[in-house]
Amino acid sequence: MDAAIATEALKLRRSPVARTGWLTVVVGVPALTAALTAAARAGGDSQLAVKAAAMLTGTGLVGYLGIVGQVTTVAMLVTTGIVTAWCFGREFVDGTVAGLFAATVSRGRIAAAKFVVLLIWSLTACAATVLVALLAGVLLGLGPPSGDAWRRAGMDFAAGTLMAALALPLAWVASARQGYLPAVAALLLIVVATQIITALGAGGWFPYAAPALWLGMGGPEAAATIGPTQLLLAIPVSAVGIWATTTWWRRAQLT
Amino acid sequence: MTPASPTTGPVVAGQGLTRWFDTDRAVDSVDLTVASGEIHALVGLNGAGKTTLMKILLGMLRPDSGAAWLFGEPVDTAGPHVWSRVGHLLETPFCYGELTPTENVVAAARLHGMNTRAARRRAAEMISQLTLDRWADRRSRVLSLGNRQRLGLACALVHRPQVLILDEPTNGLDPMGVLELRGMLLSRSHHAGVAVLVSSHHLDEVARIADRITVMHRGVVIGNLDPGGVDLEHRFFDMVYTAEKEGPWTQQSPPRP
Repeated sequence: MDAAIATEALKLRRSPVARTGWLTVVVGVPALTAALTAAARAGGDSQLAVKAAAMLTGTGLVGYLGIVGQVTTVAMLVTTGIVTAWCFGREFVDGTVAGLFAATVSRGRIAAAKFVVLLIWSLTACAATVLVALLAGVLLGLGPPSGDAWRRAGMDFAAGTLMAALALPLAWVASARQGYLPAVAALLLIVVATQIITALGAGGWFPYAAPALWLGMGGPEAAATIGPTQLLLAIPVSAVGIWATTTWWRRAQLT
Repeated sequence: MTPASPTTGPVVAGQGLTRWFDTDRAVDSVDLTVASGEIHALVGLNGAGKTTLMKILLGMLRPDSGAAWLFGEPVDTAGPHVWSRVGHLLETPFCYGELTPTENVVAAARLHGMNTRAARRRAAEMISQLTLDRWADRRSRVLSLGNRQRLGLACALVHRPQVLILDEPTNGLDPMGVLELRGMLLSRSHHAGVAVLVSSHHLDEVARIADRITVMHRGVVIGNLDPGGVDLEHRFFDMVYTAEKEGPWTQQSPPRP
């Protein structure tokens, strides 16, 4: 295996941040959505039941997977953002960054390897989250997965993956500001900005809001306005972030 | 001084190296060479510019003026064939707390061009040589400061570099560790022809191993000390006090805004 990828994969595999993040999303999202679905199905006029019912975009397993998708988009942005911040910022904080200079493997290649392992981390986390949630839905008695349910699960995975890709530009903040906390601050800013822009009705063209709106977070009418162009805006945003980060690492100086 | 030739000249060379940090001139017009088989020591007070100079020689910092060469090639364009022959330990050791010492050394070896099998074999040798066996398979975060430094040295040496640049390598080491390090540097330099550039605060330590001692003060090379001479400490302070008195050390404007 490529030396840079092998090294970065080992560091990520051993990292408490990456392990905790992976488990949080894979276990936390299904647990939370199962609880919300149970509350909605129980009915009643409690605030939780009313709010949970409002999140349901359909009935049975398909409706449940609608909630799964909405929660997954937020969870993937936050967890991938935190793990990205750590992955690119930790060496500046613990001082090991000097070891990545004056090496046979270029720094640009090391940065690229970090993105490769982050991509694998987020894809496996997103896929496992949707599968565990699907299994939890079946165990809740929502019925066996139909074709529509599998289609909905696929949408959940796609939206979660897009949100993970949108977290990758935080690597540039962690690198340029030489630490993970500035990137975490930027992540919080993105979450707040997404809320405000969505509330103002412009979320459809804001890449960080579009996937969740597509899954029904803003209601069926808002979901209907989201097309492939709005969703795929995530790709250039992510690509620019990756390019800026690898360029920064190639030119980096150890001041 | 002319740039080094790949075969005959010094393997480490810097000419007219200057680097500013805002209004502070950290390194000022420094010329320096290290030949194959030579141990060249840099001494100076804190903030003298030793670490900055080493960073420039390793391509970690770009000089505002001047140029540096490794094996006769400009540092700023040096490729893998150059870096595979360079080992370094600057400031914090290459020590990821979540990895074991063995994994850290293997990672360092692989990042310096060794394949997995060779890296594992050499890592085991280095772990043993630096008496880290007891902790070899435990997480590195449990290591003491001294053992982290040993680990950093193992990572710097694992790929059998022909150039070693070490910044305060005895930091945190116990007397046994200092003796082991001294033995390793002498053996590698005088028997394997490795060029060693080492900085240290310990003048007596430097005197035992260095072939050449360069004194830096406020970013400037202010002279050389004879490693075989007597009363090294006294001569060092004389040199520093004279330089300080003669000044002036007023900083000029940096070359760029």
